[in-house]
Amino acid sequence: MFAILKLIQSIIKTLHSEGTPGQVALGIALGSVLGLTPLMNVHNLIVFSIIVLLNVSFGGGMLGWALFVPVGFILDPVFHAIGLRLLEAPSLRPLWTDLFNTPLVPYTNFNNSVVLGSVVGWLLLTVPIFFAARWGVARYRATIGERVRQSKLYKALTASQVYNWYRIFRP
Amino acid sequence: MRVKIFRWKAIGPLLLFLLVVGLLVWLFAEPIARDTTEEVSTELLGTQVDVGRLDIIAGEASVDLRALQVADPFNLSKNLVEADEIRLKLNPDALAEKKFVIERFALRGMRFGTTRETPARPVEGEGFAPQALRQVRQWARQFDVPLLKLTPIDTVRQLVLNPTQLGTVQAAQGLAARTDSTRRALDQGFQQVDVRGTVDSARAVAERLAATNPRQLGLDGTRRAIEDARAALKRLDQAKGRLEGLERQVNGGVDLLGAGLGNLDEARRKDYAFARSLLQLPTFSAPEIGNAFFGQVSVDRFQQALYWAELARHYMPPGLLPRQNTGPDRLRASGMTVRFPKEREWPSFLMQLGQIDFAIGGKTPLTGAYEATVRGLTSAPALYGKPMVVRARRSAAGSAIASIDVDAVIDHVRPGQIRDSVAARLRGVALPDFNLPGLPFRLAPGTGSSSLTFALRDDRVQARWAIGSDQVTWALDTAGRRINEIERLVWRVVSGLDNLSVDARMTGAIRSPKLSVSSNLDRAIAQRLKAVVGEELAKAERRVRAKVDSLVAERVEPVKRQIAEVRTQAQGRLAAEQKRLDEVEARLQAELKRLTGGLAPGIELPKIQF
Repeated sequence: MFAILKLIQSIIKTLHSEGTPGQVALGIALGSVLGLTPLMNVHNLIVFSIIVLLNVSFGGGMLGWALFVPVGFILDPVFHAIGLRLLEAPSLRPLWTDLFNTPLVPYTNFNNSVVLGSVVGWLLLTVPIFFAARWGVARYRATIGERVRQSKLYKALTASQVYNWYRIFRP
Repeated sequence: MRVKIFRWKAIGPLLLFLLVVGLLVWLFAEPIARDTTEEVSTELLGTQVDVGRLDIIAGEASVDLRALQVADPFNLSKNLVEADEIRLKLNPDALAEKKFVIERFALRGMRFGTTRETPARPVEGEGFAPQALRQVRQWARQFDVPLLKLTPIDTVRQLVLNPTQLGTVQAAQGLAARTDSTRRALDQGFQQVDVRGTVDSARAVAERLAATNPRQLGLDGTRRAIEDARAALKRLDQAKGRLEGLERQVNGGVDLLGAGLGNLDEARRKDYAFARSLLQLPTFSAPEIGNAFFGQVSVDRFQQALYWAELARHYMPPGLLPRQNTGPDRLRASGMTVRFPKEREWPSFLMQLGQIDFAIGGKTPLTGAYEATVRGLTSAPALYGKPMVVRARRSAAGSAIASIDVDAVIDHVRPGQIRDSVAARLRGVALPDFNLPGLPFRLAPGTGSSSLTFALRDDRVQARWAIGSDQVTWALDTAGRRINEIERLVWRVVSGLDNLSVDARMTGAIRSPKLSVSSNLDRAIAQRLKAVVGEELAKAERRVRAKVDSLVAERVEPVKRQIAEVRTQAQGRLAAEQKRLDEVEARLQAELKRLTGGLAPGIELPKIQF
């Protein structure tokens, strides 16, 4: 229940941030990797740092993460199949062999079928996610956004201390 | 308005976050590494592995493991190995590639066979090691070690046998069906060879040529006639080739049926044993007594050696092809993790040199100090390029163990040339007491010698387990029941023996090797039994054989006759067809000679232009 409330809070805050729909959508597209791929991997630390350091919506990133966690679980068999096919492809074997024997690269766990398949899946999905999110945010703001901004729930949320901390990462 | 790309004010919180992550890693790395080591080792070895403490010494690229316990997968209340401290010195360059290359392995305070405070939990699941354990146990069950029956001979008891219980009858039915199918296959083979058609056509050519005169044919007609003759001869040659092929097929089929007859004899021997078991006749066959006494304990030793050999074969595969393993346990799917070995690179795991300096404390017969070395324990023997070698030595005359010698070579360097061998020799060791299966006798071998050699060459096993002692004592455990006269006889034999020599051998394909056990006990017991109850037993044996033979003969004899018929008919037909081919060939050759005027058949006539 708490997680759902936090998710709603995150959605509302993100949609009403001062960021442009493009910044929010880019945050969601980048954040989706945290949900689509197994979390405890080096690439996720890099993407998280990018979300923090670049002028994209941090809330969008967290929203993307939250939204794509269940999608990641559902798509695991697909990711496994993609990853295994790539790892077993004879034409790619020299590439994987070189990477596997290169310092630090094996710590990315690229040689795990689910990690590789999900990263490849995210790379393929990130552009559609970006455009879909940008269209969705723009439509929201143009239609019901102002009414939500005037609601008591929104005012309660924005008045909390958490919101002040959140403003640091606001685009 | 200029769009800002970089969020400078977030650098502080990000660094703080990374610092917190680093702090958490520093705080929890050792417990997590310890848990992971326990989990992975348990999964790999198929038995519970406990690590009391794990210290990472980052400055020296070393890891210290303390209070290590590896449970015995075949006896969960015992530890296979227990060690006070293990120091692993890792290669930092290899570690950068996520590979564990142990440059030095030092072990202190090692003990074998200690009793666990709490029994280990059995390792379940579909990992390789639990599966291998199940398969090895299944493998051990194939050795049907019969219990020795020492009940008095009942000469009055009737032997009631149902033919369907006899393996010979079932085998004979199967063989009869195979004989029929072989007969049909041979009939089809004769039809396909089509000797008759070839012979008829060649004979027609020969008759036509016989009716011609070369002088009247002219050169062209003679040339055509010669070509016809040669074509017919060629067809005859081809038919002969087909006939030779059929002959091989006939011989193969008949040989198979002959082997089936051999199996009938084997099945009949088993039926005799089955019938004997119904009458509960005692045996005075030394090999059977040896198997009954020491078969199970020998199989136990061999199955343990086989289990570790199977693990070595799985974890140390030859060649450099990518290898797949199930990925790590996590909330998300594990997937498959693929390793890509590369020539002249580090393998994923390598222990270049392990030096073991251990002491066995307490007041056990194994108390003492030991030295051992392990070289080349690796996940990719092809990269290491040399076999793994294990050597352990102890020599201490006058102590509880006079000497221990262990040598092992695990050679998985080249695919197709896999050789695993281990030889362990213990002298002056206190051998464990054990009960003789099915008998109320307990044997205490005392101090003696024990040796185990186990060699796997691809899928062939050659193993030997031997124990010897000249301080044997015996105990009679009747547990309230009276022992019968034959048991008393055997007791008188064994209790008079103070020496023991057991030699168990296992040879053959690993799937179904042959086990043979011999000992001085079985020879002594067999001789004594033969002298006392031999005549009576022989009579009962003859009765059993006669009963089995009478039931089996009516099923087996027709099959034998059928097989003999198939053989005779097939060979007769082959000879007849061969004869027909030879006759018509000779006739054609004669005609060819006549047409060529005595020239050799291979010489071409010159072509003359008109």
